[in-house]
Amino acid sequence: MAAHGENVLMAKFTLDLFRYDEKVDDVPHRDRVEIDFPETSTVLDALEYAKAEVDGTISFRRSCRSAICGSCSMNINGVTGLACKTPINTVMRDDRSVKVDPMPNFEVMKDMVVHMDPFWDKYSRLKPYLQPADRDEDHERERRVSPEDMKKLVAVANCVMCATCYALCPVISVDPSFAGPAAIAYAYRFIEDVRDSKRKERVGQISDDYLWLCAHCYACSYCPKHVEPQDDIIALKRISIEEGFTGAGPRHALVVSKTIRQSGMLNENEVIVGTVGKFNFKGLLKIMPLGLRMAAKGKVPPLFLKPVENVNEIRMIYDALEVPVG
Amino acid sequence: MIKHDIVVVGGGLAGMRAAVEAAEGGADVAVVSKMHPVRSHSGAAQGGINAALGNREDDSTENHAFDCVKGSDYLGDQDAIEAMAEDAPRQIVWLEHRGCIFSRMPDGRIAQRPFGGAGSARTCYSADVTGLVILHTLWEQLERFGVKVYEEYFATALCVEDGMGAGVVAYNMRSGELELVSAKATIFATGGLGRVYAKTTNSYASTADGMAIAYRAGIPLMDMEFVQFHPTSLKENGVLLSEAARGEGAYLLNKDGERFMFKYAPNKGELASRDVVSRAEWTEILEGRGVDGCVFLDLRHLGREKILERLPQIRELALDATGKDAIDTPIPILPGMHYAMGGIETDKFGATRIPGVYAAGECACVSVHGANRLGGNSLLETIVFGARSARHAIAYIKGLGDVRVSERTLKSEQDRIDGILARSGGERHPAVRKRMNNVLSDNVFIFRDDAGLKKAVEGLREVREAAKSMTVMDKSKTFNTDLTGFLETEFLIDIAQCIAAGALARTESRGAQARTDFPERDDEKWLVHSLFHNTGADPRLDFTRKVTFTKWQPTVRTY
Repeated sequence: MAAHGENVLMAKFTLDLFRYDEKVDDVPHRDRVEIDFPETSTVLDALEYAKAEVDGTISFRRSCRSAICGSCSMNINGVTGLACKTPINTVMRDDRSVKVDPMPNFEVMKDMVVHMDPFWDKYSRLKPYLQPADRDEDHERERRVSPEDMKKLVAVANCVMCATCYALCPVISVDPSFAGPAAIAYAYRFIEDVRDSKRKERVGQISDDYLWLCAHCYACSYCPKHVEPQDDIIALKRISIEEGFTGAGPRHALVVSKTIRQSGMLNENEVIVGTVGKFNFKGLLKIMPLGLRMAAKGKVPPLFLKPVENVNEIRMIYDALEVPVG
Repeated sequence: MIKHDIVVVGGGLAGMRAAVEAAEGGADVAVVSKMHPVRSHSGAAQGGINAALGNREDDSTENHAFDCVKGSDYLGDQDAIEAMAEDAPRQIVWLEHRGCIFSRMPDGRIAQRPFGGAGSARTCYSADVTGLVILHTLWEQLERFGVKVYEEYFATALCVEDGMGAGVVAYNMRSGELELVSAKATIFATGGLGRVYAKTTNSYASTADGMAIAYRAGIPLMDMEFVQFHPTSLKENGVLLSEAARGEGAYLLNKDGERFMFKYAPNKGELASRDVVSRAEWTEILEGRGVDGCVFLDLRHLGREKILERLPQIRELALDATGKDAIDTPIPILPGMHYAMGGIETDKFGATRIPGVYAAGECACVSVHGANRLGGNSLLETIVFGARSARHAIAYIKGLGDVRVSERTLKSEQDRIDGILARSGGERHPAVRKRMNNVLSDNVFIFRDDAGLKKAVEGLREVREAAKSMTVMDKSKTFNTDLTGFLETEFLIDIAQCIAAGALARTESRGAQARTDFPERDDEKWLVHSLFHNTGADPRLDFTRKVTFTKWQPTVRTY
């Protein structure tokens, strides 16, 4: 903890803690623990102090206290992040309290300790290990990899699997089968590794399985280790189109792109048909009730869109950037 | 009951390397760990891993071995050191083939950087997250082989049946139940003991579990007085700034802006071995040439680009803790407790004195580090001896019938835990741990003497006494970290007593053991390992294990 010097200013404040034990409690409750502690320290230091000095039952995971083990991600004043990387004075509320909750998008085991298994399962289904074309026996020495090729993997290599991005991801909250940013970034790590031989299979798996559920909200750009998984997701979507994958996700992206090029606007009718598939009668039938409900409320977009005035400029941008269209 | 041929206790680098070797060898192997493997403290290792690849400069495994021998202040066993240095290049290639993300030279080979005490640039690295990338590579291999991991199982005791290792008892932190994990061979890989000190670079999890479990089961610990103080830790929180900073050319400055290391190590300067640099820093501070109890690590002349490319993590760690940006400000640092050269006594295959029980990595003492470990050799030791211990364990279990499965240890551990949970009224365990921490930090630090060490031994007796009535507050069966913290405190007290007793008994200065009352190395008397046997109170010491020499005789050690 940070309280060593003689000149450290102590401050009184309150930890407003989420409390719950899955084996005992029907519903969670909150505890307010008052401590006298240097507020330049981290939230983890404060929790550790409160556990040692006040209430030994307060439970949370932690280990390295230097943002490398990934254990202590939790929700601090409504924002999820690593407690060991969050100074108290940056999150102190006006009433001199800090509110601490477990990560969202997980089932709680006890206090700030959550069941991590769904998170790890997302990695396991990726086959998260190098699958080279050659065998050990083919090499006496290391494989040669250019510094540039290796640098593509550096950002992901810094991921500590703390699940902060997973907890922040709104798609997970509505569809728990979504892989989440961390696992997709890990897939990217293998897809972009020149030593791996399963690029196509990996892109196919992630494309069909979960990649396209990402809604590009950029919540995961709040990564304590600067992994920027949102960039990897966008890169993978592009790779997935380049590799010719044609699931609903790529179709959706391409038809959105196409209608904007045509008219400068989103043609929702065309996007729906393009995403579901023009000849996918079963699929189109399935969304018919939605269409009828929309029609009843007068919300069906016009069938023909007049292009915006300067649509040519939009098309120039498309051409300059070589944007793919469906 | 859980049953496997081989059980590995600990999921860091040594443990996972052992498990992968066993799985590749076709054994039924499982890992028992008190945390998910990727949470292990191996991931905090920053600077690199040594191997005489010779990519950047001419090098040889013999040069590597000699540097280790000299670094160990001639206390390392030279047969084990040679084995490690010879295996190193092969192990790096093994990791690379499995996808490890090493930094590269322009021609695509693995990049290497200079490190302290090394005759040439032989430290392979991945920026300053080398431990993390290797940890991930090994975890990926566990996934590949489908190795069963008993995650958040806290090992409490070793089972010994008919004089042979028979697995462990572990506390399932999710269910709150003790379970018997039966195995023909048990490999301890539980890491370091840093939490025995008040301030350390080590994680909260570094509580010497495996060392204490083995010790209590009758396996001696070895060379426990040799505790490494890393030259560059942050004053604010004890967090490590890698030796890679100095490897890349950073300076150490005193309050006058003087690069003081050349007074202490005329040839190597900042890249002398860690014991030498830490003593030099502490001398500068004691003689009034520090600022607020610190000296400075100066990276400024390396330039923004190099810092961001090769040392981004340590720049951010320093920024988070001190608010100072290493790109344009020297960072105040001081020596901090970092590593245990000592540990569970093993032979050069990782085997202990109990058949079927092995140890690898920081919890083991082979000994390849002797009285002082060189930077870049801890990761190497985990990989080399993780694999070796597993290979030896596979050979051992071949032809071995079923080991006896007995619930004896499970029952005695159940009684022990029930007893702890039933206690009330006494002092809570964190207070007892804090006293132990202070006794050690105050009296068994960089410079030691008879008076201080006697005080430590006495103080720790009182701590052990107090521990008999200490209590836990959390009586629940759900993720009870108050209880596991209590068990860790008990482990640490055993270990603290060994460290103090060893430092008091060894009346010489060698490597990390610096006695102001015995300032010279004494090769007549002390070219022996210290062995510590459990008695339930103060350890019993013996000095019957001589250092193994192959080709290097002790000479004066200067850098």
